[in-house]
Amino acid sequence: MYKFYPKIFVQPPGCASKLLLVMKLTTLLITLTILQVSAATYAQKITLSEKNASLLTVFDDIKSQTGYDFMVSMGVLRSANTVTINVKNVALKEVLKQIFQNQPLTYEVADKSILVKQKEPPLPTNAKDKSAGLPAQPADVHGRVIDSLGQPVAGANVTLTIKGYVYGTVTDSKGEFNLNKLPQGSYTLLVTYLGYNKIEKTVEVNGKDLRFNLVLHNSSSILDQIQIIAYGTQSKRFSVGSYATVNADDIEKQPVNNPLLALQGQVAGLNITSTSGIPGSQVLVQVRGQNSLNVFPNLNNTIGNPTKPYDQPLFIVDGVPFAAQNNNINQLASIVTAQTYTGGVNNGAQVGISPFSSINPADIESISILKDADATSIYGTQGANGVILITTKKGKAGATTFDLNVNTGFNSAADPVQMLNTQQYVQLRKEALAADGLTPNNNPNDYTGAYAPDLTVFDQSKYTDWEKVIYGKNTNNTDIHGSLSGGTATNTFLISTGYDRSTYDYPGDFADQRYTLHSNMHHGSTDNRFSVDLTTDFGYDQNNSSGFDGAQDVVLPPNLPNLLGPSGNLIWNYNGVDLTSDQFYAGLQEPSYLENYNFNTAFHISYKLLDGLTISANMGYNRNTTDENTQMPASAQNPAGFVLRQSNFGVTTFQTVNIEPQINYTKKIGKGVFTGLVGATYKKNVSTSTQVDASGYSSDFLLNSVNDAPQASVYNQDTYNIYRYSAGFARLNYIYDNEFILNLTGRRDGSSNFGPTHQFGDFGSVGAGWIFTEEKAVAKALPFMSFGKLTGSYGTSGTDGAYAYQYLSLYKTIQYIPSFQGISPSSPFNFYNPDYSWAVKKSLNVALDLGFFNNRLLLNATYYQDREGNQLIQSPVPIQSGLPVVLENLDATVQNKGFEFTINSTNVKTKDFSWRTNFNLTFNRNKLIAFPNLANSTYADTYVIGQPTTTIYGFKYKDVNPTTGLFEFYKADGKTVTSTPVYGEAATGGDEVPIANQEIKYQGGFGNNFTYKQFSLYIFCQFSNQNAQNYLAQVYTSNQLGFEYNQPEAVFGNYWQKPGDVAQLQRLASGYSSTAINSALAFGQSSGIYSNDTYLRVKTVSFSYQLPNTLLNKVNIKGASVFVNAQNLLTFTNYKAGDPETPGLFSGLPVQRILAFGLNLKF
Amino acid sequence: MKNMFFDINKITIGLLLMATSFASCKKLIVIPENPPAEITRQQEFSDSASTISAIAGVYSYNTGNGFAYSDGTLTYSTGLSSDELTYTQTDDKQQFYNYALTPLNMEIPNLWSYPYQSIYQVNDILSGVTNNSGLSASFTKQITGEMEVVRALYYFNLVNLFGEVPLVTTTNYTATEHIPKTPIATVYHQIMVDLADARTKLTANYPSSGRARPNLYTALTLLAKVNLYQGNWTNAYHEADSVITQGGYSLEPTLNNVFLDGSQEAIWQIPAATSYSAVADGQNFLPDYSGAPILFPLSTSLVSAFETGDQRFQNWVASSVTGANTAYYPYKYKDRQPSTPAEDQMIFRLAEVYLIRAEAAAHINNLPQAIADINTIRTRAGLPNSTADVTSQTAVLNAVMHERQTELFCEWGNRWFDLKRNVTAATSAATVLGAEKTGFTANAELYPIPQAQIQLDNLLIQNQGY
Repeated sequence: MYKFYPKIFVQPPGCASKLLLVMKLTTLLITLTILQVSAATYAQKITLSEKNASLLTVFDDIKSQTGYDFMVSMGVLRSANTVTINVKNVALKEVLKQIFQNQPLTYEVADKSILVKQKEPPLPTNAKDKSAGLPAQPADVHGRVIDSLGQPVAGANVTLTIKGYVYGTVTDSKGEFNLNKLPQGSYTLLVTYLGYNKIEKTVEVNGKDLRFNLVLHNSSSILDQIQIIAYGTQSKRFSVGSYATVNADDIEKQPVNNPLLALQGQVAGLNITSTSGIPGSQVLVQVRGQNSLNVFPNLNNTIGNPTKPYDQPLFIVDGVPFAAQNNNINQLASIVTAQTYTGGVNNGAQVGISPFSSINPADIESISILKDADATSIYGTQGANGVILITTKKGKAGATTFDLNVNTGFNSAADPVQMLNTQQYVQLRKEALAADGLTPNNNPNDYTGAYAPDLTVFDQSKYTDWEKVIYGKNTNNTDIHGSLSGGTATNTFLISTGYDRSTYDYPGDFADQRYTLHSNMHHGSTDNRFSVDLTTDFGYDQNNSSGFDGAQDVVLPPNLPNLLGPSGNLIWNYNGVDLTSDQFYAGLQEPSYLENYNFNTAFHISYKLLDGLTISANMGYNRNTTDENTQMPASAQNPAGFVLRQSNFGVTTFQTVNIEPQINYTKKIGKGVFTGLVGATYKKNVSTSTQVDASGYSSDFLLNSVNDAPQASVYNQDTYNIYRYSAGFARLNYIYDNEFILNLTGRRDGSSNFGPTHQFGDFGSVGAGWIFTEEKAVAKALPFMSFGKLTGSYGTSGTDGAYAYQYLSLYKTIQYIPSFQGISPSSPFNFYNPDYSWAVKKSLNVALDLGFFNNRLLLNATYYQDREGNQLIQSPVPIQSGLPVVLENLDATVQNKGFEFTINSTNVKTKDFSWRTNFNLTFNRNKLIAFPNLANSTYADTYVIGQPTTTIYGFKYKDVNPTTGLFEFYKADGKTVTSTPVYGEAATGGDEVPIANQEIKYQGGFGNNFTYKQFSLYIFCQFSNQNAQNYLAQVYTSNQLGFEYNQPEAVFGNYWQKPGDVAQLQRLASGYSSTAINSALAFGQSSGIYSNDTYLRVKTVSFSYQLPNTLLNKVNIKGASVFVNAQNLLTFTNYKAGDPETPGLFSGLPVQRILAFGLNLKF
Repeated sequence: MKNMFFDINKITIGLLLMATSFASCKKLIVIPENPPAEITRQQEFSDSASTISAIAGVYSYNTGNGFAYSDGTLTYSTGLSSDELTYTQTDDKQQFYNYALTPLNMEIPNLWSYPYQSIYQVNDILSGVTNNSGLSASFTKQITGEMEVVRALYYFNLVNLFGEVPLVTTTNYTATEHIPKTPIATVYHQIMVDLADARTKLTANYPSSGRARPNLYTALTLLAKVNLYQGNWTNAYHEADSVITQGGYSLEPTLNNVFLDGSQEAIWQIPAATSYSAVADGQNFLPDYSGAPILFPLSTSLVSAFETGDQRFQNWVASSVTGANTAYYPYKYKDRQPSTPAEDQMIFRLAEVYLIRAEAAAHINNLPQAIADINTIRTRAGLPNSTADVTSQTAVLNAVMHERQTELFCEWGNRWFDLKRNVTAATSAATVLGAEKTGFTANAELYPIPQAQIQLDNLLIQNQGY
């Protein structure tokens, strides 16, 4: 076990922009400090009066009087004697002399530091007796320890062991160590220093003096890696909160163009949902389940599945709250928005373009996920749904390096659904009409339902696989990323640029292209008191696609006539049958252009006022702007109809200004170290959007400008949202003897989103940890355990998911409506309610961390329980009250509790071969635990107390009645069977009961990383189990079986045809006048459309080969590798017809299978 | 040691106090008084100019937060439920035709939600102008009368479509979000109270150009209609009579001019939205282009209800021929997407008032007056005088109903409401619809309340049969 003077590893918190290198830099700073020897200060006067005091106490006193730091290892201190001293105004030099008089220790003074070490290479306790048996002719062993940057490492423990005898020392300020007069023999040399891998080697002492140059490398143990936390950094070893970090290594292996997708399956408690396989599309993120109850009212009268929102965490990039958060950045329609799938979470937001499209995953150094109250309370009202800290890459000191990465990927739909062929389709349609007693005819004005052009007019043998036509195309990605980095220890820089192009599966020339420019500059003064960091990130994303009426067109009849003529012209009519509603190519000829600009700049400045006291500030600005244009040219419209050329222009801007002054204070108290952080936040968010719709153009070629539209047909609208926020926060941390940890955080928040009397709220947390392997008794009893820590935290955080001004009753001009008799019309749009305030979440987190085999195997088990009360929601109001919603607090409590397990293990590590494994598993259980008067509330049949908030109400499905051929359901009593259940919950006389919930029961991922010489292979699998909508959901809610729609092959032959049939599906219905339609519609609201969805997906396979250096040196290349990365390669699932990751909509664009080949060069 | 802790405590407390005072600084979180695109309710009713903007909001041709029926749902849904229209597509609208409505029907919310949203606007204006010192007494009087007519119209339609409905006259959602349905008589009482008050507040002059906002005779027309539906024949007769004799309206001699902006026959007509956006009935009923399918062909019984030579069939009905099949469709509104709309959405016109007077007269046994009024309408339609037996009240009433069918078809649900009123045995819903198609039951007379609304307020009890 390491023992060390805490000062060495406790780096100043609050340096939010410092990176993983902090450990290394700290060493560097200390070394530099020591190098600046100044004897002048050596003559300070000291007054001391101690009796039998510990040496540490005396050091403390001296430090407080002189400011001198003592550097000493705990191991060295153990051999120290107590000190009795009484001096008044005596020079430091004298005092030290007195103190060390009776000590087995000696010291060395350099600048403001005093390095304490053992006086002589200690002889083994019993060496005097045994030395006679050892060979004569002793020799000296000395050497120098440096880190991988070539800087000396001061304070490293060096021991030489022979046959149970230990000779030890610590390195001095120059990294030098000396062990004198060692007897001959074969020794084990061990060099250890926190945060670095130990050096272990055999040394033969044979009478000659030996000298070693030793290089310490950064620790690969996850336990000692530095991770980014709120306003600072921390090692996992001493954290009491629940954090997880995904590093560049893991991100780079995945050929994804949205950084959020790289997190999928990587972290326990983190749920990542892609909304479609379309480049640029939204990726939803949730930490530890859904906390809020918000329900968007549905005026369209769909029931059973009220639209529930999706809680997403706070996103912070380089210390600047990401202005757009994870909101859609588009406002106009495109192929992306035409996807009706919303990630299976029914989140109310239309799917759209992800704001993270403009951030290049290759520029990201790490992504930290903050989960519990200890980690997030310091973000107060913004932290209730977790926090995601994205940190971009910084410059590295050393020789200037140019790194180039090029890869090309090939994509295809991972799991397309097989639809009926023409023969099957025609048969099904004929049977459907026959079942309703109808004879198909070709009269479009027939109202009996017998009009069936697909059976009477279209070619009965023509076959088109529309799925293949619409998104069967294979596409490719091209990604180029270059970075230039270097500098000295005090000044480093990084400039990187990237280009990425992904094309669409759809027919047409569509692509998402991204250009990024990232840079970082760091400067530190030579006295290490002052430092500045400037990071800027610029991203430009260009998404060209089209208007499109959605994946629904996959269900077009397979015998539909050609929609394109021989010259590529659109066909609108076939033998009198109007094809307008089927003509999806028309949509594809309506261009939709989107350009997104993301500019993020983060500035960090820090000054060390006194020893241990640093003032600093984070300042940042983020602006995310989107320009859009969608066009409807005449060429894409049916010339026989009313042709109106139209063009829509949209601009959306999100901005954040963020200023956070901070003070850090570090002080050693007794056997521990106290760290205090106090800071304040001022934040202003402004988001605006404008939209201009113009129509009536005289030519398709004028659609790029609004100027050419008739003035009377140009409509504008804009939106504006402002948010001002101020806060004060503090974190107090005390680590006692490397064993006990106490962490307190607090924050007071003020938000402009609330009425004048409700603007301020207080939040806080307390966390504690015990590293029980530091306890001698424990270490003795459990020798196989190299690390053990028990932690717990409890605290509050909040959420103000509100918009500005909602507490006032407001009138606004009705958009898109011209004046009424010359008067601009306006209407009220919100209820008056000045009294709403913060929602509050209370979180409990308990975790056990264990390390075995010298921490090669690390286990973490976490239990958490979160409860969010005083829910702040857009409460639905019955429309008789006049408006659909009111923003108010609801005295309901939602609980999320669960277990998270993480394993990191280095299974094999030899010179040539290594095998590392990581594994995570999450069980989250969501439950509504309190809701006063639920039965009489507007949520009476949305939620059930004691059940997950994803509960769905509907009819309990029984089976198909063999006699009538109709679906049958249980009535509310649970016994009576009917084919015509009554809509509504039991209390209102209906038959709907809770039938399902869409909670994810468990999910996780595991990765294996193999390296053999220059080869490396990484395989990552993700798995999940939930109850989800199956393909019948789409069949029975939007394209009824038997209607003029194509269907998945899975239904064929599985429907009832004649009395006595025992079938999976009921008899066919050809239209809404069918007597079978009511039970079909009821089935769409029943438990029959839910089934288990379990899958294991081979998410990432990455194979790379490092070219041998001998070859590269000839061409002046420092390093080169070639690689193949694959995403979504294989899926094992019980889910039928459709992608298990996007359940419920079989016609949507499935998740893409990507195969990327690439080359990495370092110059 | 103690000193050190003390120091740390002092420093910590000091810093915490600094942070807290920063956090509590209200100035940092001050935002402008109102957002750029919106004004507070107080600002809205501060003077007549901005108040008028809210009034325009009530009448603007826009569903959701304007005139509730501007999407045409009322016309086609009742047209399908009665014996006027059929439907050639397969979607929720079909359920009206074959009485297969469920509480999940996607059209029903248009008939339930939009009126209530409009009623909220009206209620807010009524409370905003009352006791408002910033507005003149005459202005307040005019606005109050108008809004009462609007609210009465909405409740009149709600009660006829759904039966009992919640009666809401306040904007305080806490008082209305959890209430049961109000008895029909109470709703009618509120309608009568509103109209009676409007009658004292409105004058014969229209408050703005055209006939876009109600005047005294608009209130009287609605009052006559309400009284007719309530069986208050004498009142209905006198109110209709006042409109006809004192209102200064006249029947448009040319049928094709009846629905135009500025029609002499119009008592209340709301200007259509704007370029390319005509009256909804035109957009819904007219084919998109020549040869496009007719969504709502007229039923055979309505087509055959027109007597030979009826100019209304010539001018207000159009046809589309596909091979051997001919489909007829409503053609009262002739514009689908005009660049400059010439038609307005007609709410009340004089022809209906004649027929109200005729029916009321028949009930109070003034049969000659009834026949005279029918003949006024028939003459304009190019038809000879009615041959109904002037001595038989039933025969005259049947003649009135027949004339209502052919004059008022596909307007404001008149036919559906007439059938449900059971004016005579021959014109009752059971008789007419039973002969027209299968599936009609007494329960089908009321539409279901949207399921989502039942969920939101479980004191609302679903109508029988759903």
